[in-house]
Amino acid sequence: MAPTTRSKEASGLKSSKKAAARPSDIVPINSWFRFLETQNSQAIALPLTLLFAVLVRWCVALYGYSGQGSSPMFGDYEAQRHWMEITTHLPPSKWYFYDLQYWGLDYPPLTAFQSWACGFVANLVNPAWVALDSSRGIETHESKLFMRGTVLVLDLAIFFPAIVLFFRSKRGFGSWVPQQVSIFTALLHPCLLLIDHGHFQYNSVMLGFLVWAVYFAAQEHYVYMAVAFCCALMFKQMALYYAPAVFFFLLAKCFQPNHGFALFIKLGFAVVATFGLMLLPWIQSPEQLTQILIRVFPVARGLYEDKVANVWCALNVVVKLRNMFETADLLRLATAATSLAFLPACIHLFVMIRRHKGKLLPAVRDNMVKLLNYSLLNTSLAFFLFSFQVHEKSILLPVIPALLLVDDEHWAVNWFVQVALFSMYPLLFKDGLQIPYAVLAIGWSVLRSCPVCPADKKTPRMVFLLQWLSTLVMVALHLAHMFISPPASLPDIYVVLNVVFSCAMFLFFFVYFNYRQFSLLSRPSSSRDMSTPNKRKTE
Amino acid sequence: MLSVNDLVLLGVGIGVKLLLWPAYHSTDFEVHRNWLALTHSLPVDKWYFENRSEWTLDYPPFFAWFEWALSHLAYMWDPRIVDIDNLEYSALTCVMFQRLSVVVSELVLFAALMRFAKVSGGSVQARVAAFLGFLSPGFLFVDHVHFQYNGFLFGILVYSLVFALEGHDLLAGVTFAALLCFKHIFMYIAPAYFFYLLLHYCVVYRQRGAGGLDLGASVLRLLKLGSCVMLVSGIAFGPFVAMGQIPQLVSRLFPFKRGLCHAYWAPNFWALYSFADRALIIGSRLAPNLFPALRPNAALESSTRGLVGDSSFAVLPDVTPAATFIATLVAQIPACALLVFRQRTPTRLIQAVVLCAFASFLFGWHVHEKAVILILAPLGLLVATPTKRMLRMFAVLSISGYYSLLPLLFGAQELPIKAAIMLIWSLSALGLLKSSSVPAWRCLTALEKTYISGHGVLFLLTEISPSCLFGQMQFLPLVLVSVYTALGILYSWLGMIYELLAAEWA
Repeated sequence: MAPTTRSKEASGLKSSKKAAARPSDIVPINSWFRFLETQNSQAIALPLTLLFAVLVRWCVALYGYSGQGSSPMFGDYEAQRHWMEITTHLPPSKWYFYDLQYWGLDYPPLTAFQSWACGFVANLVNPAWVALDSSRGIETHESKLFMRGTVLVLDLAIFFPAIVLFFRSKRGFGSWVPQQVSIFTALLHPCLLLIDHGHFQYNSVMLGFLVWAVYFAAQEHYVYMAVAFCCALMFKQMALYYAPAVFFFLLAKCFQPNHGFALFIKLGFAVVATFGLMLLPWIQSPEQLTQILIRVFPVARGLYEDKVANVWCALNVVVKLRNMFETADLLRLATAATSLAFLPACIHLFVMIRRHKGKLLPAVRDNMVKLLNYSLLNTSLAFFLFSFQVHEKSILLPVIPALLLVDDEHWAVNWFVQVALFSMYPLLFKDGLQIPYAVLAIGWSVLRSCPVCPADKKTPRMVFLLQWLSTLVMVALHLAHMFISPPASLPDIYVVLNVVFSCAMFLFFFVYFNYRQFSLLSRPSSSRDMSTPNKRKTE
Repeated sequence: MLSVNDLVLLGVGIGVKLLLWPAYHSTDFEVHRNWLALTHSLPVDKWYFENRSEWTLDYPPFFAWFEWALSHLAYMWDPRIVDIDNLEYSALTCVMFQRLSVVVSELVLFAALMRFAKVSGGSVQARVAAFLGFLSPGFLFVDHVHFQYNGFLFGILVYSLVFALEGHDLLAGVTFAALLCFKHIFMYIAPAYFFYLLLHYCVVYRQRGAGGLDLGASVLRLLKLGSCVMLVSGIAFGPFVAMGQIPQLVSRLFPFKRGLCHAYWAPNFWALYSFADRALIIGSRLAPNLFPALRPNAALESSTRGLVGDSSFAVLPDVTPAATFIATLVAQIPACALLVFRQRTPTRLIQAVVLCAFASFLFGWHVHEKAVILILAPLGLLVATPTKRMLRMFAVLSISGYYSLLPLLFGAQELPIKAAIMLIWSLSALGLLKSSSVPAWRCLTALEKTYISGHGVLFLLTEISPSCLFGQMQFLPLVLVSVYTALGILYSWLGMIYELLAAEWA
C-alpha cells in the first residue's frame, strides 16, 4: 500500500478529481473506500475489510448447517466431522476403507490430513467430539462451535492471505480504491461464505490454494504455482475443473526457448514430489492407492445427483437422457462435451502464452495473468455445465477466477455471482439459511450496485435492461416460492425453474467470458500494452 | 437529506444486526416478552401488580405503553408471544419478532443522529460521529445480542439534545420529561437539564437598559415549562395516581434492596474500592502486623463471589446508600457549575449531561455496567468538533467503556463477534475522528496508547486463555476487566473535568 499512498500524495488533488469521474464511483462500496482515501485513512482500510469479513463469516456461522438434526445420516457437516473421528483414531491404511456406508472418506489425502489435524485438536479439547463411532451425529453446541472455528481458522490461514497478496501485487488498477474494492469483494462475496460457513464445507482451502497458484503465476514462480495447484487438487478432486487451464499454461511456459526444458523438469519433479508426499502413507500398497482412486472418483453415481443448474439437468426437463442411455455412454457423452467446451479457451491460452518469450514486462505479465484467469473461469464453467456428476456447490469454482477479474469485468462478475448465488438457493433453503441468504444477496446487490445503477453511463444499455430483467425473474421466483405452494403434480417446480433459469444464464456467461478471453488482447487498453511493450516504462 | 452513503451504511448496519439474530440473548429477552404479554392481556390497573413471572414490570408507564403498542403487532405475528402464561417462550417466531422490534425501533436513534449531523453543519466529522454512535458496540452488544431497547431510548435523548442545539429549549425539556417516563435511569442526567432549562430558558434578561432580570417574562416561562413537564408526567403517571397505585409503582421502579455493586462490578469508583478492600484482605492475611485488622464479618466471602446482595467490606469502611448519594451529588457539582457560572450554550448542556452521567456512573449505588452508554452516547455528539484532549478522553473512555460490556456476552459463541466488533469500532474511531485534521490515534499520549492496547492483552488473558489459568478464582477475570476498565474511565473523567473546567477558569 505504501507506494500507492506515496504516489497519491505526489499527484495530490488533481488525480483524485480525475479518479472521481470514474463510473464506478456510484457503486457504494467504491465510495466507502473513496471516503477513506479523502480522509487520509487508507491505513485502516485493509484491517477493517478483514475484520468485517471475519464478523460476517461468524454471523453466518451462528445459523444452521447441512443436515442439522436430520438423523440418521445428517449431512456434509457430519461427513467432515466423521472424517476427523476416523482419521484421529485409525491408522491411514483404514481411512479409505472404514464403514464406507456411513460417510466413508471420499476426498483426497490433503483433506484427510486436515481432518486428522482438526481431530487431533478436538481430541485434546474434548475427546467426546471425535470419539470413534460413539460420536456419530453429535450436535452439542460446543462441538458445533469447534467445527465452525476450524473452518474460520483455515479460511483465515489460506484464503485470506492469498486474496490480499494477489490483489496487492496486481497492477493496472490505476489507483488505490479499486484495489481495495477488489479485496473487499473477493473476501465478502456471498457464495463461498454461505457454503463454507453456513452449509459447512472447507472449499475455501481448495479455492485458497488456487488463488495462491494464480498469485505465484503472477510472480512468475511457476514451480510454486504447480505445488499450490497440486495442493488444491489433493484437497478436493473438484480442482480438476481447473486442471486443463493450469496444464496448458504451464505447458506453454515449458516451450520457452531458454529455460523451458529446465522448467519442465522442475515442474515434473515438483508435481511428483507433492503427490508422492501426500500419498506417502499409502504409497507401498497398490490396493490402497486403487481404493483412494475409486473413492475419490465415484463414476458409478450417474450423470448428476441432485438438481443442479447444468446442461444435463436442465435438458432433463425435455429429454430424459438417463432413460435413453447407459451410464457408461453418458459418461462418454459428458466427457466429449466438456472437452469441446473447455478446449477453445485452453488452446487460446496456450497459443497466447507461447507467443511471449523471455522476460516479461509488467504490463504483459499482467495480461498473461488475466488470460490465465479467464481460462480458469471458462474451463471450470465448461466443467460445471457439461461434465458428469456435478454438484450445485461446484459453481464456486468458476466464481473464484471471476472474482479475481472483478476489476476488469464489473457488471459481468456482479451479475454472475448474483446468479451463482441464486442457483444455490434450493440447497441453502434446505439448511435453513434463508436469513443470511437474503441479507447477503441484498448486501451484494446493493454494495456492488447490481443490477446496474441508472447513473452508470458506461455500461451498455442492453446490459442494464437484461440485468434488471434477470433480477426481476429471481425476485419473482423467490416471492412465488415464499407465498405460492407448488401444484401437487409438480412438487419440484421451483427448483426446476431455478435450474433452467440459472443454466440459461450460465450458458450466456460461458459464451460471454469466452468472447472476453478471445478479445482480451485486442481490447484498446490491453493491445497497447501488448503490442508496444518497448515503449512502456517499467515504472 | 440523507446521502446514498448514509443509507448504505445504515443498510450494512441493519444487515449485521439481522445476522446476529441467532446469537445469545439474556433473560432480558424474556423480561420484555413477559411485558408484551402482560400489557396485552391485562387491564392497565393490573400492570404493576402482575407477578406470575419473576420479571415484573419495572419501567415507567410510557415504556409499558410502548410494549402495549408492540404487543398488538406481536399478536398478529404469533399470538403465543403475548400469552401471559406462556413463560420462557422463545420459538423462532418470537425471537424474530422481538429482535426485529429492536432493529426497527432503533431507527429513532438513526433519525436523531442524522438530524444532529445536519444541525452540526453536515460536516464529515459530524457524520462520522453520528455513525460511530449508531453502530457502536454499546448498542450492538446490549441491544442486538444481550437484548434491550436502548437504541430507541437514546434516540429520544439525542432528539432532546438536538432540539436544544436548534434552540427549542421547551421542546428539549418536554422530550426529556417524556424520556424519563420511558426509563427512569435518565434521572442520572436530570440535574444538567434542570440547571440548563432553568437558567437558559426560564431566566430572561432585559434587552435594554441595565440588563437586569426580567421577572415577569421569567415567571411566565417558568410556568410554561412547568406546565408542559407536568402535562407529560401527568399523562404518564396521572392514571396511576387516580388509581392510587403510586406506592406500588415506586416500589417497582426503585428496588432499594440491592447491593452496592452489581453481580459483575460495573467499572466505577466502587469497583476500585472493592478491589482495594480485597487487596487489603489478602495483605492482612499475609502480613497481619502491617495492615489494619480485619473486621469480623461476611465480607470475606461476599462481593467477589458475584452475588447480588449487600456488599460489606473487611478493611475499608462500609458504604451506605446515603454515602453514594452524597458522593454522586458532589461529583455532579462541576457539571452544574459549568451551567451556573459560565455562558450557557446548548453544547454546554451536552457537556453537563456527560459530566452528570459520569458522576452517577462512577459513584452511584448498584450501577449497571450498561449505564456507561449514558456517558458515551452524549459524549459521542461532542466529538463532532473536538479539542485534542477531548478526543483523547473519548478514545480512552469509549474503548474501555465498551470493553467493559464484553462480560455481558460470556459465551464462547460470541467471542469472535465481540472481538471483531470492538476492533472495527475502535479502528474506525481512532482513524476517522479528527481534531483539526489530526486523527485521534495521533493525539494520544504514549501512556494512553499503551493503556488502549492493553485491552488486547486483557482479552487474551480473560477470554481466550484456558479456564485452568485462574483455577479456583473464577471471579478473577471479571475483577480484572472491571478494575482495568475502571482505571480508564476514571482517568477520562478527570481529563474531561480538566478539559471543561480548568480550561474555562484558568
